[in-house]
This record gives sequence, C-alpha cells and structure tokens, in this order.
Amino acid sequence: MMRVVIAEDAALLREGLTRLLEDRGHSVCAAVTDGDALLAAVAEHQPDVAVVDIRMPPSHTDEGLRAALAMRKAFPGTGVLMFSQYIETSYSAQLLEGGAAGVGYLLKDRVANVAEFAAALERVAGGGTALDPEVVSQLFRASRQRGGLATLTPRERQVLALMAEGRSNSAIAADLVVSGGAVEKHVASIFTKLGLPPDESDNRRVLAVLHYLGG
Amino acid sequence: MDEDIRRVAGTVLRAPFTRRTVRELLYCGIGGITGVIGFSITVVMLALGLTISVSILGTVVGLLLLILALRVSRRLGGLHRRVAWWLLRYQVEAPPKFQPGTGILNRIDKRLRDRAAWRAVSYSLVKLPVAAVQLYATTITCIGLADITYPVDWVLFRHQASGPMVVVFPFPLGGTFDVYGFAGTYLAAIAGAFSVLAGTWLARGINAGDRRLVRSLLGPSSMSERVSELERTRTLAVEDSAAALRRVERDLHDGAQMRLAALAMNLGMAREKLSDDDAARPDHATVRELLDAAHRNAVDALADLRDLARGIHPPALDNGLPSALATLAASSAIPASVTAEIGDRPAPAIETIAYFCAAELIANATKHSYANQIKINIFTERTGVLRLQVTDDGIGGADATHGSGLAGLAQRVSTVDGRIDVSSPPGGPTTVSVELPLKA
Repeated sequence: MMRVVIAEDAALLREGLTRLLEDRGHSVCAAVTDGDALLAAVAEHQPDVAVVDIRMPPSHTDEGLRAALAMRKAFPGTGVLMFSQYIETSYSAQLLEGGAAGVGYLLKDRVANVAEFAAALERVAGGGTALDPEVVSQLFRASRQRGGLATLTPRERQVLALMAEGRSNSAIAADLVVSGGAVEKHVASIFTKLGLPPDESDNRRVLAVLHYLGG
Repeated sequence: MDEDIRRVAGTVLRAPFTRRTVRELLYCGIGGITGVIGFSITVVMLALGLTISVSILGTVVGLLLLILALRVSRRLGGLHRRVAWWLLRYQVEAPPKFQPGTGILNRIDKRLRDRAAWRAVSYSLVKLPVAAVQLYATTITCIGLADITYPVDWVLFRHQASGPMVVVFPFPLGGTFDVYGFAGTYLAAIAGAFSVLAGTWLARGINAGDRRLVRSLLGPSSMSERVSELERTRTLAVEDSAAALRRVERDLHDGAQMRLAALAMNLGMAREKLSDDDAARPDHATVRELLDAAHRNAVDALADLRDLARGIHPPALDNGLPSALATLAASSAIPASVTAEIGDRPAPAIETIAYFCAAELIANATKHSYANQIKINIFTERTGVLRLQVTDDGIGGADATHGSGLAGLAQRVSTVDGRIDVSSPPGGPTTVSVELPLKA
C-alpha cells in the first residue's frame, strides 16, 4: 500500500485519481489544488509519493513543477510523479537535474491504462523512475549520440527506450513478450556497444542511460 | 479660340447666379464669423495658459488651461468641419479620437502631445486672415447687390429728393462716389455688378484655400500620424490574436482535454473491473457507474469542443451577417430583434469582427443593463461603412473608457480603422454604434 498526496486543480481528475488509487488499495492522504497546499500536505502526511499537476493556480503555468522541485529539496525521500497534458523537454530536464531516483513525468493520457499507471506510480514511490515514452522519444530525437545509437539493432533500441522509461528487466520482458534472459542479453549488448559500465541496480542504470542520451 | 473665351466668360458671368455661389457666400459669412471667434478663444486661452505656466506657481493652472485650450480647439475644429460640410458639402473625416492614458501624469502628457489638437490650434490661428478675406468677400458682394438696386431705388424713392445719391464702391478698399441723376444710377448698378462678380470669385478662391486648410489641419491625420496610428493598431491586432490563441489553448486544456483524460480514466477503471480475477461475476453496479461517468465526460467534451469551435468561427457566418445575427439574437436571454440592410457583402474579417462585437454587446446588455429588449441594427452606408447598432432600453451608464469589455471592443475595432461610439445616459437607453469599413 502506498500513501499518496495528489495536487491537481481539475476536480474531475482529482476525484478520479483518488478513486482509482483507493480502488487499488492505496491511501490518498490529501488531494489539494495548488503548489503551496502540496508542500504543506507533504510536510504533514510524509507520503510515499505525490502526484502533481504541472499547471495549477494561481498563474496556470508551471507552479506544479516549481512546487515539485521545492519538494524534492525539502523531502528527498518522497517520490514525485509529474502529471501533465503536455511534455516539455525543459521541464523533464529540470526534474532530472537532481537525479532520476523517485521521479516520474507522465502524460495524463497514461491514466487510461490503469495497471500501467499504478505500476509507474509504485516505481516512483519505491525510488525508481517513470518517464513517459514521449519524454524518452524526445530525448532520443534531441540526443547528440546518433553515432552510438545507430549501432543498435531495432530491438536493442526498443529495450534502451524502455530502460530510459525506468522499467525493470522483468517489466521490459513482459512488455516485449520475450524471456527475462533475452532482455538481459540485449541489455548487456547495449551497454557494450554504447560503452556504458554495466550496473545491476535499475536506478543507476536509468541514470546512466539518461546521461548517455543527454550527453 | 473664340469659343473658349466665350465659354470662360459665360462661366465667370453666370457664377453669381448659381446655387453653389449662395453656399460659398454663406460659408464665407458664417465660416468667417466662426473663424474670428475661434481665433479669439484660442489665442486668449493659449496666451493665458502659456504665460501662467511660465511662472512657477501657476504651472499647474497654466497647464490645465493649456489642456483646456487644446480640448476646446478640437471641439472648434469639429465645428469648422461641420460648417464646411453643412454649407459646402465638403466632407473631412474627424481625426481619431483622443486616447486617454492611464494615470494623471500620463493623461496630461498625452493631452499635451495630442497632435490632432495642436493641428486644430494651428487651424484656428491660420484661419484669422482667411476669415478676414471671407468676410471681405461677403461684404463686397452684399454692397454690390445693394448698388445694383440703385436705378430702382431712384425711381421709387429718390426722384423727388434733392442732392446726390451716395454710392459705396468697395474697390480697392472702400470708397464712395456721388450720383446726381437717373443715368448715373446705371453707373452705380454697373459698379455693383462688378462688386458682386468680384466678391463671388473671391469667395470661391478663398474657400478653395480654406478647404485645403480644413483637410490638412482638421482632417484625420498627417502621414506620420497615420503611420503611428497603424503601428499602434497593428500591435493591438498582434496582441489580440496572440491572446485569442492563448484563450483557445486554455479552453482546450481546462475543457475538452481534461474531460477526455477523465473519460480515458473512467474507461480504464471500468476495463480493470471487468478483467479482475473474479471476472465471472463482475461488479456490475460499479462498472455501470464508471461507464456513466465516461459517457458524461464524452458528452461534456463534445459540448466544450462545439463551443470552442463556434467561438473560433461561428458557422452561421457562412450564410452572411444577417442570418448569423439572427441566430445570435435567438439565443439571447433578453428578447432581441434584428434589422439588417446590407448591400455589398463585407469582407469575411469584417463580418467576423461585427459578429463578435454584436455578441459581446448583447452579453454586456444582458449582464449590466436590466433591459427588457435589445435591438440590433446592421446596415451598410453609402460611404462604404458598415454600421452595427445595438440598443437596449436598460438603465444606461455604460462607459467606453472603463470596463474592459467596451474598451477591448474598441481596440479590436480600431485594428481595421473602425470606431465605436457609446451613448448611454444614466437611465438609458444605451446605444452602442460600431462603425467598420467594408474591407479590412
């Protein structure tokens, strides 16, 4: 069971999210509508993770992101899942600046797949990473490592993208409908081709991949 | 050659008997008098304002007087323009309305930089010599007319009287000669005819000059003013469209997009319920509830999108303004009637602006006026102007400078050189008149 704080100004989505999470046996400690209330609620309830809308009152621009960054500083142990109708590369860059542990950035569309959304949230709550496929494909497009990426097979590129999203080997295997061993082989091959140090922990692996893509 | 001379001579000699001459002479008389009055007022106020503002203590009073002088000059300019239209049928459009700034200092500054007012001041000053010539032309014509009647006068009144008859002959600058007999009165009549002819043509000549002055000094603007006006309205247009796009984005984000996200969430949850392990007996009530919510969100999203699309371009406009306005009136909360008389169809951009003006004005009336009835009147004028009038029988007191609604409309309209006039005395009725060119 996770303890969750929600910050979302649209009542429809706030209530929907609350219900969705409670249906799955999680506990929603607080559901607030702006950044200041989010920080107060996190201080009060010490949740495992916060789901934060980026655009909230009063200015309806990026107060959610700013609140999330402040929250990361003040409560490093609490995961943050940014939840937005748009993917902005500059936002994801700011969010990942302080490390990829306990960070997520998903399009609101992803909530349509309840199981995947819940899995992503659980990953973030557990100190993992959950990046939207959109974020990852933007990173791929913007990456200066075209030469390195070109050496990968299509399958390996798929695996790399899923790694960048923050998924574990078993999740990747389930997603691609292959065996765990096959994924491990792909991962090892990718790391060799790109010259990355192999690392067992999912967390450090995401960071290495993101660092590679961003570099 | 002879033909030409005869024709010119004919024109010259016939001139006094034309209707136009009567108007020109009337204009000389009336315009001359208003010119002298305008000159006096302007000079007195300017002199007072300038002298007082030179002394330190009087700066404020002097400045206020100066501003008053500028405002009065604008009014006087309007008077002169109207006289020119009334008597000469010479139409010069008014310069753009003064755009007051915000804040007292800014207001004063803008008043003092009001170029149209300064041009009106210069007209008032230049008008004095013009008015002098105009009054002279009127006078000699009148004297000439009197002189022409001398033979008749002699026969009717003077044949028994003793002594000479004094004839005023206004050339070069005035003078008299005496007439001692009936034959002499013909000389007086000839002198009179000459005076009338001279006065007539002098009037025409000086009025031609005056027209030029009216156009250049009391007209809309010089080229540089026009340029700065265009720069200003272009900025407005750009800002307006950027704001419109931002509004659309905001509406989408908070409306349809949000509802579709909620819809996707409802469907996702319903699917979860159905694929639970105990799918053999799914929780029908919950699934139904989730589907209801999804359905509601889909319907609301459609409504949001429809409103948004209509806000971008009302489909009814495709059939022309009259039918679009009729649709608008039909959905008004206060009973509204439309009369339309449109000749050439305006450009699409103009139609759109007119439509949104009408929509905004109806919304304003509904919100603020407590009216029982709204009348929407749209027609094209012969001068190539589309005029929209929205009248309500409400409480009045609408103000174009305050309240962003009317001010925003005025901005939007000014981007196509249109203008808005508001008449809304306390107690009503309120009439807002929007003037737009037919082509953007």
